[in-house]
Amino acid sequence: MYGRNSRRFGWLSGGWGSASKFVFISFVAAALLAGCGQSTSPGQMTLGQIVAGGSPVAGRDASWPLEFVSYVFSGFLLAGALTAVQITVLAMSAGLVLGLGLALVRLSSLAPLRAAAWTYIWMVRGTPQLLQLVFIYDALPLIGLKFDSFTTAVVGFALNEAAFSAEIIRGGIVSVSRNQSIAAASLGMGRFLTLRRIILPQAMRAITPGITNDTIGMLKLSSIASVIFVNELTFRAQQIVGQNFKFFTVFCAAGAIYLAMTSAISLLQGWVERHFDPEHDRKQRARPRSGDICGTETDAANLHGVIGSDDVAAGIGQPVLVSSNVWKSYGGREVLSGIELTVNRGEVVAILGPSGSGKSTFLRLISHLESVDRGEIVLDGGHVGYERRGEALKPVSGLAKARADARIGMVFQHFDLFNHLTAIENVIEAPIRVHGITRSEAKVLGVRLLAAVGLLGHADDLPHRLSGGQQQRVAIARALAIRPRLMLFDEPTSALDPELVGEVLAVIRRLADAGMTMIVVTHEIRFAREVADRVVFMDEGKVVEEGASAQVIDNPQQPRTRRFLRRVAQSEGIDAEEITAAAGP
Amino acid sequence: MPTRRGALAVLILAVGCLGATLPSVAQTPACEPDKVATKYPSLAGKTIKIGADPTSPPYVTRDPKDFNQLIGFDADLARAVFDCAGVKYEFFLGGWSGLLPAVISGQIDVMWDNLYYTAERAKQVDYVVYMVAATGALTPAGNPKKLSGIEDSCGLNAAAGLGTVEEAAFREQDTKCRAEGKPGVNIMTYPDIAAGARLVQSGRADLMLTDLALTDSLVKENPTLYSRGYKIVSGFSVGAAIKKGNADLLKLLADGLKIMQATGKQKDIAAKYAIDPSLQIDAEVKTS
Repeated sequence: MYGRNSRRFGWLSGGWGSASKFVFISFVAAALLAGCGQSTSPGQMTLGQIVAGGSPVAGRDASWPLEFVSYVFSGFLLAGALTAVQITVLAMSAGLVLGLGLALVRLSSLAPLRAAAWTYIWMVRGTPQLLQLVFIYDALPLIGLKFDSFTTAVVGFALNEAAFSAEIIRGGIVSVSRNQSIAAASLGMGRFLTLRRIILPQAMRAITPGITNDTIGMLKLSSIASVIFVNELTFRAQQIVGQNFKFFTVFCAAGAIYLAMTSAISLLQGWVERHFDPEHDRKQRARPRSGDICGTETDAANLHGVIGSDDVAAGIGQPVLVSSNVWKSYGGREVLSGIELTVNRGEVVAILGPSGSGKSTFLRLISHLESVDRGEIVLDGGHVGYERRGEALKPVSGLAKARADARIGMVFQHFDLFNHLTAIENVIEAPIRVHGITRSEAKVLGVRLLAAVGLLGHADDLPHRLSGGQQQRVAIARALAIRPRLMLFDEPTSALDPELVGEVLAVIRRLADAGMTMIVVTHEIRFAREVADRVVFMDEGKVVEEGASAQVIDNPQQPRTRRFLRRVAQSEGIDAEEITAAAGP
Repeated sequence: MPTRRGALAVLILAVGCLGATLPSVAQTPACEPDKVATKYPSLAGKTIKIGADPTSPPYVTRDPKDFNQLIGFDADLARAVFDCAGVKYEFFLGGWSGLLPAVISGQIDVMWDNLYYTAERAKQVDYVVYMVAATGALTPAGNPKKLSGIEDSCGLNAAAGLGTVEEAAFREQDTKCRAEGKPGVNIMTYPDIAAGARLVQSGRADLMLTDLALTDSLVKENPTLYSRGYKIVSGFSVGAAIKKGNADLLKLLADGLKIMQATGKQKDIAAKYAIDPSLQIDAEVKTS
């Protein structure tokens, strides 16, 4: 028996990390000091004579370390530990599933649902768990719901954990930038796909420590279930103490068993955190570097090969996007007031205008990240996610599918790459998950696109390892990966350091050369003049002026356009002086 | 063979005579484990769930030789009664404060663990009582505060099991103390006996009121730690409790306990666990 035990110890110390060993050793030391040794004092004698055959487990004279060890490996106590583990595993699993559901309900847009979830969490968190258990066990039979002890414990702890973990999970979800969801939506990813692939993996690192605390707490707290006849570890230790009054030895032994179990949970926490740490993950996995597949760093020719959107109905130069009288307001404030705009296939349209003029909102309406209030936007003869009900257009329920089918590529001011995925994983996420192409096909596509934006060497880097300009080029490759019929750029260089602007504009320029239909919201006046076919100037939710880019920029007709161009030129300094001069007084 | 038949005849005669002279004995039911279906029809084939808290020596406790086994006065008595009736049973072990609620809700059938009869409890459960309780005051060795009765508890730290009659007694005493202008009783409740004993041992509590048998055993085993301050023969009767409305089970308990008392089995078990056999009272059904 003891031989076997010491072998187990040997295995433990062999397999554990040094930190865990330290914990284990310090526990043993603490146990020695902290009073397990006091069991030899006269106070620790047994009730021997009132109970039949009253000799304690290891005899009154047995040295206490041996006695301690014999309790640690007592089948009676270990059976109680097993019960605690079973309850914790089952209740935690069920509780997390329920908690995720509750967290999502708490984040839903439907007020009654939110209120219901809030009420549940309020009730469960606000009442003692002991009473909840007694209620389930002893009150529910009155309405015909009779659970046995173990089931009651699992149900009770799961319902409790649901309330606590809902808040932890919600905290994790809201800690992930909302822009990540918007970027996913622009790629046609549905809500649950976004949750599973984008939000939760990033939230997990914030969620894991809290959930681990809950797990450890539950394992230890399962002792309160003794009131409903669950004989777990603490209660069993109490029973032994109730018989032989050796509190120190028995409780130290129970403590050692708890510590072993909670150490396992802590190790699991470390593993989970490493798993969801993208940085660590890359180091661990020896994946083939995508750079090996193709040696070309920059391959402009690739661009022509990968952006072909041959399923556009409109012919070259014919209208592909028609916006008619589009209105949008937020909370009573008009943001767009009757936007009229037509973009022809192969055309590059630059939208200029001061902040708050509604440019970004207009782009979001085109890709239906937001719904129009009035008017309509027709892409290649159809609506994106609207159906006609009588006179009005209403958003359809399967909006994600509609967005995916529309294939509108979108590039954001702050890049909004998925932070936990490498460059190439960012690019191939939507082709695989939304458009259902195989991983190997997607990889070939991803490599070509990254090569086209000159970033093949960074295919396996995480976004935060890349410069802003590089991130934005990956974002362009990601948008191109859905073979877009139309590309929307929302101030793609505004968040970049000046020296990085050029590399991004160069990529957009190449796209223009390749014949991509694009709408670019920008403050880069010179770029707009050189690359755009047409310039649209917006202010206060209206199109103030539009025309050929050279005409609008060099010779603006409207005072507001002139004022804006002058202001931009002043802030851009010498470089832009010639534009101001050209624009004239 | 003939001898044995002769002996049987003598026995029948003797029983007959006894029956004629002592009618009460004749009325005492006998152990007939094969007659469950006729005597307690609703219990036939059922397994009775007996609720007990195995941290309450010497009534229900773990066997030190094998912790998976249960021993104690109430555990043995319960087994004897159900074996006698021929009804299967199993012990449900839980914290003491959860036992009575579980009986009332029907999660278990019997609470059998040194449970005192009170009129309040009898509104919710039916009892068969079988002994009276005596309470002992466990104090530190030498009874340093010279406690001689519960009226000495004013201003003291007094330990009692959560939800027990001892706790109620201290609450009553607390009111009395305050009414007399003295400091009240600081009542410390504990979840199990060992925890209560620790309170006294560590000096956190000045005394602990609990079952007399337990108090005496603790003092005897640990004379350097504890003394018995005083004892109260409280007059509380002790019984097994069941949910109201289960006539067959109530009859089974009453029959069984009467048999245990008639045969001396109850006193034997009491002696085994150092409980004063004279605390036994005639088994009696109490439904209110």
